[in-house]
Amino acid sequence: MYKSITFALTRTATAADQTAEAVKYIRRKGRSDLSARGEPFLWGLGGALAFGMLMIFGFLALIVWNGLVTFYPKPVQVVTLSDGTLLAGEPSRSEVYKPGPQVLEHLDEPARQAIAAEHGYARRTLFRTGNFDLYNEDFRWASDFSIVSVAEPADVYFIERIEWGPFVGFIRSLNLKGETVSGAALTRQILEEAHRRAVQRRELIREIEREEIGAVNHRLNSERLKLKRIALKQGENSDTYRQAAAESLALQETLQGRYHDLARDAQAVKAEDAQYTVTLAEIGGRGKTIPLSQVVRFTLPNDMSFFEKIRLYLSRWLEFLTDEPREANAEGGVMPALFGTFVMTVLMALAVAPFGVMAALYLREYAKQGKLVSVVRICVNNLAGVPSIVYGVFGLGFFAYICGGTIDRLFFPERLPNPVFGTGGLLWASLTLALLTVPVVIVATEEALAAVPQSMREGSLACGASRWQTIKYIVLPRALPGIMTGLILAMARGAGEVAPLMLVGVVKLAPELPLDGFFPYIHLERSFMHLGFHIFDVGFQSRNSEAGKPMVFVTTLLLISLVAFLNATAIVIRNRLKRRFLIGHF
Amino acid sequence: MEAARKIDENDHTVYHIKTTGRGPLIETEHFCLWYGSSQALFDVSMDIELGLVTALIGPSGCGKSTLLRSLNRMNDLIDGLRTRGAVRFDGHDIYDRDTDVIGLRKRMGMVFQKPNPFPMSISENVTYPLKVDGIHDKTVLAETVERALQGAALWEEVKDRLKDNALGLSGGQQQRLCIARAIAADPDVLLMDEPCSALDPIATARIEELINELRGRYTIIIVTHNMQQAARVSDNTAFMYLGRLIEYGETTRIFTTPRSAKTEDYVTGRFG
Repeated sequence: MYKSITFALTRTATAADQTAEAVKYIRRKGRSDLSARGEPFLWGLGGALAFGMLMIFGFLALIVWNGLVTFYPKPVQVVTLSDGTLLAGEPSRSEVYKPGPQVLEHLDEPARQAIAAEHGYARRTLFRTGNFDLYNEDFRWASDFSIVSVAEPADVYFIERIEWGPFVGFIRSLNLKGETVSGAALTRQILEEAHRRAVQRRELIREIEREEIGAVNHRLNSERLKLKRIALKQGENSDTYRQAAAESLALQETLQGRYHDLARDAQAVKAEDAQYTVTLAEIGGRGKTIPLSQVVRFTLPNDMSFFEKIRLYLSRWLEFLTDEPREANAEGGVMPALFGTFVMTVLMALAVAPFGVMAALYLREYAKQGKLVSVVRICVNNLAGVPSIVYGVFGLGFFAYICGGTIDRLFFPERLPNPVFGTGGLLWASLTLALLTVPVVIVATEEALAAVPQSMREGSLACGASRWQTIKYIVLPRALPGIMTGLILAMARGAGEVAPLMLVGVVKLAPELPLDGFFPYIHLERSFMHLGFHIFDVGFQSRNSEAGKPMVFVTTLLLISLVAFLNATAIVIRNRLKRRFLIGHF
Repeated sequence: MEAARKIDENDHTVYHIKTTGRGPLIETEHFCLWYGSSQALFDVSMDIELGLVTALIGPSGCGKSTLLRSLNRMNDLIDGLRTRGAVRFDGHDIYDRDTDVIGLRKRMGMVFQKPNPFPMSISENVTYPLKVDGIHDKTVLAETVERALQGAALWEEVKDRLKDNALGLSGGQQQRLCIARAIAADPDVLLMDEPCSALDPIATARIEELINELRGRYTIIIVTHNMQQAARVSDNTAFMYLGRLIEYGETTRIFTTPRSAKTEDYVTGRFG
């Protein structure tokens, strides 16, 4: 380019009449050399980035928006249909559809013309009507042409229940131990006070059944196992066994007595609780009486101020985060799944970090770099491409059946044939995921180790340090930020993995958390719940996928947030470490 | 004093070194070295006098750094390395099977081309050789820090910020810190691999001054590209060319009246 310009300029200087031509020559040359200037590539590269960003942010926006609005109370509409029936529910979405010929036949002329004007299409709205126990459905479509009028009455209740999903309708009366309150006497205060007491009773029953009877059962079971253990060790005819059996029998009787007492207590509270009921009426007038303790909360969605709505919104989030699921996971909270995901990811990180780092250290620092090491490296990289379900099969076969089976035979012979470790569980799931993510850690660690300048190693060795001292004092601290990056990637991959977990310990509904008050407090052998599997279960395995859809978004949002939280923690740690090495980079 | 001798009939090395009469500390005998299949050192035989400063000069790729790194077996890190002949340190062949390489390196401090302080505090850098030796006594460490930093003429500049990160020092200070680290464990030998090539002239002058101060306390072997530097700081100079030791003699003689034609060509700047 420069050459042609200088060339052109000399020509201009010598012959004035050639000036115009020379300028034209420069311009033409500049314009035709587009590929040399590189604009199309720049546009291509920028476009690729923009496209990628658009997809990522679009996806995140979809998840975040849908996840955040789910718990916000929506108005309940009462719709009068053209056939005279009433329908009450939350409008959840609307769409355009093509009504069939039979439907059109029964329509009056103006409606038919309106549809014809839209080329045979009409609009319809899906209402969440609730009252599954009465209607046998949760949602109902209403076409716009069949709607006569829409109202939002202030006194229509949206009642969340423990069973059967929400109830949409009115409260007819309150039955408090034989005393019936209805009409104007049924104030908001009376309702709330009665409900508060009912919730207390529900929690009391739960506490007795879960905690106290659970503890008695646990002790009974461990007594039985202790005895069986002695029987297996000493034989059933030994003196030790006879003595232990007698002692155990006495203890079991005491425990049985305690159990009966507790069961009677629980029964008494239940009988008391059954006397407090509420009679509800759906929009068509059909009544339904349920115990007050079956109600999670009463809301009047059409008669709420903004702050009341926010309060309800937050209380629903709190319930979601801290409660156990109900209604086949479609309602209630996800605390066990959240906890299970968290514990499993942390355990996986604890297992994968030392393992991957040690393997990479050997590969990079000790192994003689040759063909064999290259082959090993390629194999490690390829492991990252093995379908995760294969790891699940391997985990089930190797960890659960072989390792767990051996542990059971050696340490828990009294429990056989019931497996303890010999089936899927938290520990095996973590180890399976650790195996799945170990290539990520190895590759990242190797890169981090390779980035440590050779001069550092030489300086240390020249000081008379051994190889291991050099690694410990010089190489590892320098490589730690890079190793952390690998760990972050591994955690992100592991936390979002579902397929292998289905084989090695994740269940739809875990009866117990892996952490409780019974020795040894952390039960790594237990099956657990996982947010990823929860999404699959709620979205595709529940009786009503329409009701599960918002929960899918909320749970996805939660899972993404959890992964982001774990990553952010690791990034903060990594940056702390990095700062030590950044001083004086001039 | 001058000791002039010929190693053997086939050797062409011109040999006329200055001695102190205390005898050689390191002797190489027909030392050959291969990286894989390419030979880097050919039949190098030289005695390094105790307590003197010996400079290794020669054009790039002549094997002077390789020779230096062979003395404390830093070349061991390279895969496919082979040697023949012997390197005697205090009469013991360091390429023997039973050599304690770590113990050998502890007796030889090394300073590299580019300053390579560790990403730790200044005092931790200096005490690193003691740390790997398992010495944790605080008073011993504190004494070592002061002695080594004073030995490296860095004490006055850093005594108030010993806990600061060493990477915050200037290039010249970093190199003096590396010298302090190299002498912290009180070695017998100081190996310097072009210690000034990454430094500016003022920092270079300080290092040269320091080498003059350390003369006599340590046996110093310095590889340098800079012939003036070799002339300024060393007692003996070895000129190497294409992996061979061409001439090894008293520095003033090498630079004024070299006996080999190749040496003369190099020191007068005709090639290199």
